[in-house]
Amino acid sequence: MSAASIIHTEKLSKRFPGRKKEVVEAVREIDLDVARGEIFGLLGPNGAGKTTTMRMLCTLLVPSGGTATVAGFDLASQANEIRKHIGYVGQKGGLEQVATGRENLMLHAQLYRMGRAEAARRIDALVERLKLESFVDRKAETYSGGQRRILDLASGVINAPELLFLDEPTTGLDPQSRVRVWDEVRGVHEQGTTIFLTTHYLEEADALCHRVAIVDLGRIVALGTPAELKKQIAGDIIALNYDDENGAAAASRLLEGNALVLEKHLAGATLQVYVDHGDEALPAVLRVVGQGQHPAKTVQLSRPTLDDVFLKLTGRSLRDSDAEQKHQAY
Amino acid sequence: MRDMYLITLNELRVTMRNPFWSISGLFQPIIYLLLFGPLLNGIASTRGLPGGNAIQFFAPGLLIMNALFGAGFEGFTLRDKLDSGFLERLRVTPISRLSLALGFIMQSSVNLVIQSVALIVCAFFFGLRLDVLGGVALVFLILLIGITMASISYRLALVIREGGILAGIINTFVLPAMILSGIMLPVSFGPPIIQWLARIDPFLYAVNASRALVTGTLADSSVLAAFLVFGALAALTLAIFIHGMREAVA
Repeated sequence: MSAASIIHTEKLSKRFPGRKKEVVEAVREIDLDVARGEIFGLLGPNGAGKTTTMRMLCTLLVPSGGTATVAGFDLASQANEIRKHIGYVGQKGGLEQVATGRENLMLHAQLYRMGRAEAARRIDALVERLKLESFVDRKAETYSGGQRRILDLASGVINAPELLFLDEPTTGLDPQSRVRVWDEVRGVHEQGTTIFLTTHYLEEADALCHRVAIVDLGRIVALGTPAELKKQIAGDIIALNYDDENGAAAASRLLEGNALVLEKHLAGATLQVYVDHGDEALPAVLRVVGQGQHPAKTVQLSRPTLDDVFLKLTGRSLRDSDAEQKHQAY
Repeated sequence: MRDMYLITLNELRVTMRNPFWSISGLFQPIIYLLLFGPLLNGIASTRGLPGGNAIQFFAPGLLIMNALFGAGFEGFTLRDKLDSGFLERLRVTPISRLSLALGFIMQSSVNLVIQSVALIVCAFFFGLRLDVLGGVALVFLILLIGITMASISYRLALVIREGGILAGIINTFVLPAMILSGIMLPVSFGPPIIQWLARIDPFLYAVNASRALVTGTLADSSVLAAFLVFGALAALTLAIFIHGMREAVA
């Protein structure tokens, strides 16, 4: 393992007993290295094994196989040392609803062996940095979804962890709150905390993460920066829409053998052309297809999304897979 | 140790903020005291009942019933904490699983003692005569029962996600345990099969001991039996709960 790795796993696995003696392989022999100082994301549909992987790394679940070191400690034998160095914000948050935000933070600070005075100073600092003044002294049950998330985040960093785990940090939030949470996550990262998060939002992985592992059915199917992953898709996509199939077919014939075209795909009255550097290729492609008798009705140039990557790697769309819910993530 | 107090204090604060459950838990025994006690008075001279004063017979049983039901349903508070993610949040802190388990047990114990004292005060107004030393011993017995029931209830809550199923399972055991213990009516009223079943109900010993302790007969054989039975059960169930907390995947 590299010395800079804050998380290192070898063949990390988790099997759950399923119905009728069947075994659910939630996580299958995952090898992972997360470098100190990065924001690393696990992207995948519900049931892909993201949360299970995270729960194992957070000491909440005992792995069925493989090894891992987290923050320099062995997961199997030094769970309590790991707990001192990590922060964790689960999907449910975990605030005591009838206590105020400040009381919740105080309890957690004290559980990390801080004295009351030290804890109070730490909480004051977080209140200021995360802008909690307006609600920190109200009971948690009165919070909006966004306020709850920000307080969860404050609770997750109460011990100034080296490594912060965020399990689907913005699921269920409105777009404004989501952006606010992203900003605060970046803020925590700037303070020197490594961040490991799970998400099934492409935009979130794209906007926040330095590196992303795409997970499907308990395996990592792709790993890299969002830009690298998107490069795996053959370039950009030019979609030419015609009045009928004949127009699209004629355009396809005109582009036959063209050096610019990496791949093309005919779907009804639409011709999809895969090219490198779509912005430069678009005028040239239009010139070629313009020689035909059928004028194109509309043209779209699109860059590949992480959904296209997922589609290419698994044959399924990330959004479709969400609905499947093959097995519960916990 | 400090962690255990932190959890206990936090849980007690939560109870104080929302004392409805604690107070409503007392409704049931108080209603029995108000409505069922007078009924017993009517048959107080019947054989098998201590002559004359039904409250001396009934109130000690009610105290045991309150422990049986009150602590028996503590699992629901833990279920809430699992559902809200609160317990999970605690489990990623360096707090020991032992402190966590004991914190919950402490909270339920403090709650139960307060309820029991409140119930004894109520029973005074109905004419209960209580021996002081016996009363103190009785509170200890109630504590052991509370630890036993809360441990079982918490342990079940760790594995049963569905609140309705949890309630069903707890009721299935708690209700027969209550009837066979002779809290409501003496078991001697029943046929031999009932009397035989009652003898394997640990709460029969607790109720008998409670009645003896109220009058100050500490030397009664039922007192020793009850302390032995519930001392052992409390230790066993607590160990099972602590083990469950260590293993828990929730």
